[in-house]
Amino acid sequence: MFIDWQDKLKRVGNRLMFFDIPIAMHCHHYNINLQKLHEDILGMEGVRLIYNAAEESNYTAFKIMLAEYPMIRSHKSKLEFAASIYQHCGLGVINFQEVGPDGGMIISPSSHHVTGWLAKHGLRKTPGCHFTRGWIAGVLEVIYHLPIGYFEIRELNCKMMRHAVCQFDVQLNRGKHGH
Amino acid sequence: MAIDSHKIIHAIVEGSKIRDEKGIIPMFGVYLSVYFTSYYNIISFDFLSKMGKRRALEAEKLLIHAAQECGYTTFHGIRRSWEWEELVQPMLETIDDQIQGFLSVATAFGWGGEMEVIELIPGNRLHFRVYESYESAGYLKRRGIAGSGKCFMLRGVAAAFMDLIYGDAYPDGCFTFSAAEPFCRAKGDTFCEFIAEKSSP
Repeated sequence: MFIDWQDKLKRVGNRLMFFDIPIAMHCHHYNINLQKLHEDILGMEGVRLIYNAAEESNYTAFKIMLAEYPMIRSHKSKLEFAASIYQHCGLGVINFQEVGPDGGMIISPSSHHVTGWLAKHGLRKTPGCHFTRGWIAGVLEVIYHLPIGYFEIRELNCKMMRHAVCQFDVQLNRGKHGH
Repeated sequence: MAIDSHKIIHAIVEGSKIRDEKGIIPMFGVYLSVYFTSYYNIISFDFLSKMGKRRALEAEKLLIHAAQECGYTTFHGIRRSWEWEELVQPMLETIDDQIQGFLSVATAFGWGGEMEVIELIPGNRLHFRVYESYESAGYLKRRGIAGSGKCFMLRGVAAAFMDLIYGDAYPDGCFTFSAAEPFCRAKGDTFCEFIAEKSSP
């Protein structure tokens, strides 16, 4: 299916829009500064805040974007659409290989946050793709018609720790939805 | 030659449509991302909430400093990039013109719509107006009317612009200036204004 990505990122009046949703361009310095600030000051609570913000913002936006293309019907096509959006937002490359409503595994061979973190701070000792974890949760909850918070995404391997790829494990959030 | 903001904005919006094979946007010597303003508003304003009323001023200061350090590094990279040299540099007649160039880039990045310099006293004071700051719009939408200015990112960036132009040579000039936001749409004002002046010793 053809999607005119060039037309989707545009200025409307003085605002910058993607699929008619307000967006901002930020560089890796700002994105990584915000992540480090949240981690340094709030610890795990800050990590959760980044995850939740990415999940909520993407859940809302992806619903709108998907609604624009009712011909994208299968789960597989919706996952491909999501991966294309990730790439067109300059967030990196993401492969939804083995995932469904009951969970699964997702791989990211490159990302804005990995490149940015490594450029600013070098290797980490713990996984650092909190934004991407939340982003994935938001997408999957929209695709499978589930509420926010249904999935819990863990990062098993992270390129910020010198692993070959970032690997995400999708599980059901047992505490929150009583599974 | 006057600064042609529309030309700068158009070039950035078009240039930001280029992705490398890794899904990264390398532009102006930095890696850009394009993402929803709602995300940035949630992490900033929820950070404030998590810090609590007792640490509210500290929280604001941390957010402003994060943006100022970023603005200082980023716009230093921007003015050394080939894109700046080819596109913006030919329009600059004086060193003060750089401010207008920086504001055009900020507009192109979607940070606040039209931005207008009210007053620039070289080396001392920058006063500019922003009509559609995404931070103020986001605060109003999520939290309602605020008691004080909420555009922490733009406050940091305002000071960073002055740091870069009138502070010590990079990388020693950051935090030479600091900025206030006397008017903010989040407070019910019709626009946001920023005044960057030398920081108190």
